[in-house]
Amino acid sequence: MRDRYLKYSLLLPAFVIVMATTFYPLAYSFVTSLREWKLARHRTPQGFVGLQNYAQAFSDETFLEALATTAIFVVASVVLTVVLSVLLALLLRRTGRLHTFTRIIIILPFAMSPALIGVSYRFMFNPEFGVLAKGIGALVPALDGVAWLATPTLAMTVLVLTDVWHWTPYMTFLCLGGLASIPRSTEEAAQIDGASSLRVFFDILLPQMRNVVLVVAVLKTIFALKMFDQVVTLTGGGPGRSTETLAYFVFNIGFKWYDMGYASALAYILTGIMMIVSIWYVRLLLADRKMATA
Amino acid sequence: MKRSTVFWWLERLALVLVCIIALFPIVWMFMTAFKSGRDAYDLSLFFKPTFDNFLTVFRPPWNLGSMLWNSIVVATLTVVIAVPAAALAAYAFSRFHFHAKKSMFFAVIATQFIPATVIVLPFFLMFRNLGLLDTRTALVVVNLAIVTPFVIWMIKGFIDAIPVDSEEAAMMDGASRLRVIRDIVLPMAAPGILTSAIFCFILTWNEFLFALILTRREALTLPVGLVSFRTERGDLWELMSAAGVMITVPIFIMAILIQKHFTRGMTAGAIK
Repeated sequence: MRDRYLKYSLLLPAFVIVMATTFYPLAYSFVTSLREWKLARHRTPQGFVGLQNYAQAFSDETFLEALATTAIFVVASVVLTVVLSVLLALLLRRTGRLHTFTRIIIILPFAMSPALIGVSYRFMFNPEFGVLAKGIGALVPALDGVAWLATPTLAMTVLVLTDVWHWTPYMTFLCLGGLASIPRSTEEAAQIDGASSLRVFFDILLPQMRNVVLVVAVLKTIFALKMFDQVVTLTGGGPGRSTETLAYFVFNIGFKWYDMGYASALAYILTGIMMIVSIWYVRLLLADRKMATA
Repeated sequence: MKRSTVFWWLERLALVLVCIIALFPIVWMFMTAFKSGRDAYDLSLFFKPTFDNFLTVFRPPWNLGSMLWNSIVVATLTVVIAVPAAALAAYAFSRFHFHAKKSMFFAVIATQFIPATVIVLPFFLMFRNLGLLDTRTALVVVNLAIVTPFVIWMIKGFIDAIPVDSEEAAMMDGASRLRVIRDIVLPMAAPGILTSAIFCFILTWNEFLFALILTRREALTLPVGLVSFRTERGDLWELMSAAGVMITVPIFIMAILIQKHFTRGMTAGAIK
């Protein structure tokens, strides 16, 4: 009986925090996105301009470029992370001292600050004294002395690398969780019948890992869309605008050019893209649960 | 027989390779932090280690000490506010049925997918009017936005895993719900709550975008402080690395201390 009041009072503190810190800004941003407001010129918001800020985005070539850059980054980083984390999970599934040790070690890249990751890769890919730039140069003569971060495709490659290095461990743990829930019996039966490891993987493990792989892919897509820190500390969006992703583009419009209206509209477009992905994610999870209980 | 020995060695080799890839950038940074300015631009593995960089970064103009203090204060306050509130809400989500529970929980998860810029823009304007730009208070408020929903989600995963039986038995014996929470649920959920708290600390400690936008001088945190080592004289790598060591060491210690729960905690939320 008294639980009725209790449950709402338990929810109250978190409810207030989440309302004040996310839903209020969300509403405020939306209203701002409908107004004209260049902070450098006006202290207070100017008149409503309807959807003009949104329309501006789609005729803004730099925005469309940032959209394309983001797409390239997201696809590369998601595909690489998913493939590597599935493989790594298969490798780490067995028990053994070296396995346990590796499982602890790979927590470190995940715990490292992304801003710092950007800085340290910048250092390692410095053409004059970067250890990776020199090392790769020694192995692949064609890449010797190349200015990694001053070459558009290579800068993008390094940016993707930092993100894959950072996120693969977490995604590996998700895959390990998924693998742990698969009963070993089918796999063992197939092995006894003489099926090769590759066949066991493609015919038995991979279909059963489908759900967890999808979860990993969608989560990674969202994290990749949000990725910001390394763009600032690794490439600064350059060379030119070749690594300027949407998150960085919105940041520039808002906090370099102080165009609050346009920045809000852009941020909302980014939210829209993420919302589509996240709704898909939640539905996927619900379908997953239905399957589990059925 | 032969074939399986080959595989045994290949597996070991692959594991060692994974460890090297994971560790190399970190080890290189730690080494650079102990190199003198001249050695930092050299690839040699052998050098005369020096502690100077760590002393330099704490002196003006770098003043890493105040950034370190800001990072500690902001992360601690965020944890202290977010975790208790989130734990209570997580219990309610886990154990009670109430109106619009599903959509409320959906909303909590959905907040994780909002880009940080959407959140920080209104706060930037608000703090600007209130004169709160460049304060630790501003950072704590904004960090709560990212951390609270995430921790609710994570702790709920842990509480879901605790069987309800003992709670029901205690209530049959006449214990009140609050006593049940305090005496039965809290002790059982403690490892999970601690894991979530450390997770929350790490997220806040590493946070970069908010600090970049909301701070200028006074409330700078360590990750943003890194950017200040880019000078007209070029990037000061040995000092950056020393600062990097300061950022990573506390986090690495925490992560390793709770590694068993850590791996479970970070997967619980997404799978459940």
